[in-house]
Amino acid sequence: MSTIPIVAPGQSREESTTLQGGRRRRRPNLLPHALLLPSLIVLVVLVGWPVVKLVITSFQHYGREQAFGKPATWTGFGNYTKVLTDQSFWQMLGRSFAFMVAAVFFTMVLGTLVALLMQRLSRGMRNLVSVGLLLAWAMPALTSVIVWGWMFDTDYGVINYVLTKVTGHSWMGHQWLLNPLSFFVVLGVILVWQGVPFIAFTMYAGLSQVDHEITEAAQIDGASAWQRFWQIHVPYVKQVVVVLVVLSVIWDLRVFAQVYALQGIGGIAEKTSTLGVWIYSKGTATGDYGVSAAAAVIMVIMMLAISFTYVRQTIEEDDK
Amino acid sequence: MKILRMAAVGAVAALALTACSSNNTAGGGATTPAGNAAATTAAAPAAGNIRVWFVGTDTPQTARDFLKTTFEAQNPGSTLTIEEQSWTGLVDKYTTALSGSDAPDLVEIGNTQAAAFTSAGAFLDLTSKKAELGGDDLLPGFVEAGSYDGKFYAAPYYSGARVVTTTKAIVPADKAAPKTWDEYLADAKALTTSTVSGMWMPGKDWRDGMSFVWVNGGQIATQGSDGKWTAGFESDAAIKGLTEFQDITMHANHAPTDQVEGNQQVPFCAKQIAYLPAPSWIKWSINAKEDAKTPGCGSTLGADDQMSAFAAPGLTAGSYAPVLAGGSNIAIPAKSAHPELAYNALKIILSDDYQKILAGNGMVPAKISQAKYLPADSFSQAAAAAAANAKLTPASPKWADVEASQVLEDSFSKIAQGQDVKTVAAELDAKINATLNG
Repeated sequence: MSTIPIVAPGQSREESTTLQGGRRRRRPNLLPHALLLPSLIVLVVLVGWPVVKLVITSFQHYGREQAFGKPATWTGFGNYTKVLTDQSFWQMLGRSFAFMVAAVFFTMVLGTLVALLMQRLSRGMRNLVSVGLLLAWAMPALTSVIVWGWMFDTDYGVINYVLTKVTGHSWMGHQWLLNPLSFFVVLGVILVWQGVPFIAFTMYAGLSQVDHEITEAAQIDGASAWQRFWQIHVPYVKQVVVVLVVLSVIWDLRVFAQVYALQGIGGIAEKTSTLGVWIYSKGTATGDYGVSAAAAVIMVIMMLAISFTYVRQTIEEDDK
Repeated sequence: MKILRMAAVGAVAALALTACSSNNTAGGGATTPAGNAAATTAAAPAAGNIRVWFVGTDTPQTARDFLKTTFEAQNPGSTLTIEEQSWTGLVDKYTTALSGSDAPDLVEIGNTQAAAFTSAGAFLDLTSKKAELGGDDLLPGFVEAGSYDGKFYAAPYYSGARVVTTTKAIVPADKAAPKTWDEYLADAKALTTSTVSGMWMPGKDWRDGMSFVWVNGGQIATQGSDGKWTAGFESDAAIKGLTEFQDITMHANHAPTDQVEGNQQVPFCAKQIAYLPAPSWIKWSINAKEDAKTPGCGSTLGADDQMSAFAAPGLTAGSYAPVLAGGSNIAIPAKSAHPELAYNALKIILSDDYQKILAGNGMVPAKISQAKYLPADSFSQAAAAAAANAKLTPASPKWADVEASQVLEDSFSKIAQGQDVKTVAAELDAKINATLNG
């Protein structure tokens, strides 16, 4: 009993009572609680307080004057009504979800394909692919948007240049960001390009856990590569896929920097805003912090709803 | 511990002594006894590092160097750091930075954005210092932009006017200075070829696009006696201007319709522009050497004897089209940790020597008396002519929010793409009204 039990406080008591048999009541051991305290304080200060402040602000009229010290006034659900009755909010929401579905789909498919490719490559080639993926993964969001923006530039972009050379029809002056749909294609290219490395590495790690004997046995039984993938590999890595999909959904829904930076390069901001940028331009940029807080709270609730299935599943797994 | 404490006392004493001596030299014949000397020591600000935020690349390097060396020489022990900010998202950035505990000590702010902060109490009140900073010699329009409720918060920094730049390689002499607005538009169309834009006008360039509205008598917004704002883009005059803008952007312009103005020296140097409406200091970007960090074409199209500028003409010969008054104010954030030192730096910025440097670089100085140092070229003359007719944006604390929402960029861009002018104008007016009266 000289070692400190590294278990949750509640559990440790149960265990010590069973170990020590006869003694019914025991002074609760405060040490585990004390050890938890520092991280708890950090969590409360860094995560808890801003969330509480966000919720409070969402019920207030909070503008630039309030940021500089003027007391805020309460507005009840005023900010929420403002957001929920704004037609552009619902348009933006539909746009964000449609884009998210497409982006998650392409990121997952491409990432899985790269992971499957890496399994079949020789060691040298695999390292080369890994380095390439890591470079894309390590590139800061803003830098990559600017570089992609140059590539898609209307007058001097390499994409227009190559398309002109290849098709023989002049693409110079084609404005990629003007049409909202084509704006989202460019944005999708950037996000998928940045998202694939993480999916590929995680899937690769997951797929390497699949038992070779089973795939071999299936192969002998005459299962095609397609069947083996769907009936052996996928069930094996199901948990990994669920986690990756949930994370990608959240990432692609709340993406901010890439959309905002791309809007600075071109396009009509009003027709290309997604969740994060909409909150910024409706509230933060125009000095109406109450509205942006209300919109952010709505976003948090939506994110919680999305990750709920994932969290429930994880808990069920733990209970088994 | 004792030794350490002794050393600390010694250091403080040494600091106090230097402070005293520097004060005496500054003050001149200090015949005052101990009591008064102590008072001056108390008034002298403690040494520290102050952070100055300039926005964009407009402030020339010589001026930055002058500010830093002069400040550090005048305030021994203190240092000055210049941090360059970006115009994009500036209002939002300042709201966070100036209300936090780590506020900068001196900030440049666009003249149209100043009201958002002067009205919120973000800046130190400089009313009592106004005379010392220049008084009536300061640019009146910018003093107004930096004042709120009768108090003076943000001093003028510099101003600039929008002029039209041309080069001999593209524009023949008979079209180098059109006399009237109609002639200007007609020439722009005549000069347009498959590669040359008669007038370079990116769709989102509402700042230059506003001249089209103003010259025809339109307004952004007017304030009624009840304090309520009414946006004016739906008026007949404004619609006429916006229709002309659409005609030019669609038929005399190859600039992307979905982009903001910026780096215009690149297409200019590539022989793609006949008339380039831009702030007068665009001259220095075009005039830059070919191998400069931001390359221009100083030895060819942008050489001094090749390019020239004129003020966009008005409806009748001899008059000029109104242009957006561009420029900046400069202020001390209320939360600055070193307000006295910041004020010392502000005094240097508004000194004749500093403003002379700005004037020499083609920026209209904050002090009227220093305008004589503007270079004697067509750019300065055009800028002076245009500045005399410059217009301000609506004097509302909420105006900065209209700009930040990008509704002007989006609307002008839609018009440049060929959408129905009246519909876009009506949507724009509704949004401006909602923000200004919200």
